[in-house]
This record gives sequence, C-alpha cells and structure tokens, in this order.
Amino acid sequence: MNPIESDVDIWDDDITVDPYPTYTALRDLGGVVHLPKNDLYAVTRYDLIRDVLADPASFSSTTLGFNPMVNEALQGTSLASDPPVHTQLRATLSANLTPRALRGLKVTIDEKADKLVAELVATGSFEAIDSLARAFPLDIVADLIGFSGHVKDNMLRWGQAAMQVIGPLNHRTQESFPIAGELYGWCSSVTAEDLAPGSIGRGIFDAEARGDIPQGSAGHIIHQYLGAGVDTTIASIGNIVALFGRHPEQLKLVRENPELVPAAFAEVLRYWTPLHIWGRTAVRDVELGGVTVPAGAQLGILLGAGNRDPRHYDNPDVFDVTRNPVDHLSFGYGPHGCAGQGLARLEGHAIVEALARRVKSLTLGDGYRVPSNITRSFEQLQVLEVEAA
Amino acid sequence: MRIELDRPRCEGHGLCEEAAPALMHLDDDGELVIDSPDVDGEQDIAAAKAAVRVCPVAALKLVAA
Repeated sequence: MNPIESDVDIWDDDITVDPYPTYTALRDLGGVVHLPKNDLYAVTRYDLIRDVLADPASFSSTTLGFNPMVNEALQGTSLASDPPVHTQLRATLSANLTPRALRGLKVTIDEKADKLVAELVATGSFEAIDSLARAFPLDIVADLIGFSGHVKDNMLRWGQAAMQVIGPLNHRTQESFPIAGELYGWCSSVTAEDLAPGSIGRGIFDAEARGDIPQGSAGHIIHQYLGAGVDTTIASIGNIVALFGRHPEQLKLVRENPELVPAAFAEVLRYWTPLHIWGRTAVRDVELGGVTVPAGAQLGILLGAGNRDPRHYDNPDVFDVTRNPVDHLSFGYGPHGCAGQGLARLEGHAIVEALARRVKSLTLGDGYRVPSNITRSFEQLQVLEVEAA
Repeated sequence: MRIELDRPRCEGHGLCEEAAPALMHLDDDGELVIDSPDVDGEQDIAAAKAAVRVCPVAALKLVAA
C-alpha cells in the first residue's frame, strides 16, 4: 500500500515555529505520510521512528540532510555514514564524550551553572536566551575544545548555521551556507597550538599525532562537536526556563524533590524537542507501518511528533516532571543516537538543579521563536521577575 | 532469557542501570557489568526489557537463552 499524502509543507515558517498541531494532524493521518511539497516521507509515530533509527541496514544515513550540498559536505563523518564504516568513526568521535570520559567535568559544569544562575537571580530580571541559554553552553564548549577569542565570538552564528544548512534548499539554508563555511574553514585549518593545553580539543590532536585516529580527522571531529553541540543545547536550556516559568507547580515539584532533576530534563526534551526533523534514505522498498516506502525515498523523521505520540505516552501534551520519559526521542536512538548526550545531560541537569535551588518562581514576559529548518529554539525570552529561593 | 551486550557500542550512559539495578551496574571505571545475564521470572524479565528499551544506543538485547 502507498502511504497517504498530505499537502503540508513541513518547513513552512508558521509550522516550524509551532509544529505541534501539524504533528498531531500528520500522526492521525498515518505513521508514514508522503509530503510531495517537500519530496519526503514523514515518519510521525513513536514506534516507527524507533524502528527506523534502529535499522541502518534499511535506512541509510548518507542523506541525513535535506539538500545534496550538505550531504556531500558531511561525507566521511560518522553522522553521514553507515555500518561498518560508521562504527569506527563513531568510536573516535565519542571517545571523549562518553559519561566515563566526562566524569571529571561534572563538578566544573555544576559550579559554572550555579554561579551563572546565582548572578542572574541577583539581578532580579534578565533576558534568558543570551544571558543563560547561549552563554552557558558556549562557555562549556569553548573550554572543552580549548578555544577562545574570535572563535568564541563566532561560535553562536556558526553553530546556528551548521544546523540550518541541513534543511532543504530554501532561503534559510542558502543564507546560512557561507556562515557554515566559515566554521568548516576554521576547523580545516585549526592546529593543536591553537587550542588550550589540557583541553579535549588538544587531546584529539594528540591522538592524531600518536596515530590513534586517522591523519586529518581531528579537524572533522572538532567540526562535529561544534556543529552539533551548540545550537541544540541552547534550545533545550531556553526551553527549561520557559517551561518552569509557565508551569510554576512543576518547578515547585523539582524544588521539593531534587531527585527529579534528571526526569525534569528528560521531560523538557520530550515536551519541546530541540530538533524538528532528521533524515534517512530507504535503501530498498521497505514496509513500514503497513505502507511501502520506495527505494531511494528520503525520510523525514519527526522526532517531536513521536515524542507526543499518545500511542506511547499518556497525556502527551501535558508537561509533567514526574513522568521520567527516559526513552524520549530527542537524542535519536540506536547506533547514531546523539554522541554528545552525556555532555548534554551534564549541562541540562546542572541548569535544572541550579534553577531549582535558587529560584522560587519566574515571571515571564515576551518570548518568541523564529522560523528555522532544524533546531526549534527561543530567539528571545524575558524573565521580568525572579523570586529568589 | 539472556541479556546480550554489544560491548563496543556501549558508551556507559547508565540508563539501563537505573532501569534494572539488580541485573547490571556501571563499575568504577564507568564500564557496564551485567551481573545476571541469564534472567527468568516475571520481575527480572520485565526489568531486563526496560533496560533494553532505554539504552539510547541500542547496545543491549534480550534473546532466548
């Protein structure tokens, strides 16, 4: 059977800002919905998304992006490769990112989060995106890779552009390619001496010099850290502030039960998924949810639609910090599951914990999102008043 | 039933340990140790299934013994 069709344009400005009504409509139509306007097959339901992500033999990552230029640029990375090549590239990429590798960083990350949140609380009111959601991960990732100066100043726009260009060839992608190219250029020319001694970035060059990883791969790995690790974390930290502001009773629950910190962060990720969509290609005709996805078809995996699937989560449109949705889809799943999720959890938990410790309530003012191809993030979010704990 | 671990794929995220603390744990080096690979009994099988389900990189499997 052929999948049902919908005339939705999944990259329509309004849909990227508020995709959830569209996700509901598409999920109700089918687990796989053909979107001719975008020339792709949207995967909308939780179980099917897990099935696709767990099956790299049927669904290739070589076209994870939605335009040929970005897929070409990503060739040779673990992101865009399939097993068996993927297995080695992934091991190299994640060696410095596993929870065991990052254990030494937890104390530093917790201290930085607490200090930053304490300073913001003391001011009484603040703009949460620049001063917290962006400032914190940029600081952490700069220390991790070991750069400073102009690179640090550019990292926000570079990180945003690296995500944007994964989209289709719309104006957002075209405007972002030159900026993503600056990041690529820097990563291609960076040397060990440019990075702080003792940093993970420097360590990757040391591994290359020792022959532990292939010659020329250090720059690629750093590119993936920066391309993937900035915009996504920014989105999730902005969402933490917004959701605690909108749901004071949920903040109160975490304040009274600090053991809920990991569950609260998982629920933030489930409720507002940082990445809209991620790509795969069917390598042959594949049966998926009772329909046939033809060989060569581009899939668009709607992670946020899966995270709100009522077939999997009870009352999925309710934000509930006691739910503990450890199997949410925001880090993807399977062999390509987010390589930086250990670091993301350290950062997210540190921010949730610091807010729960220092903030009794937040009064939110204006906040808005701007249309975006891949990452769904607040552009600005005013906290008009903080009641300190 | 038997719990199988794809060792190279395991990155030590530790979600399985939270789901099935009686069956597996991360050691002092952050490496996963399956304490009871062979599981039977409703409770252990349910815990093992939960551990398999939450592994973010799909490194665990539950197979017929």
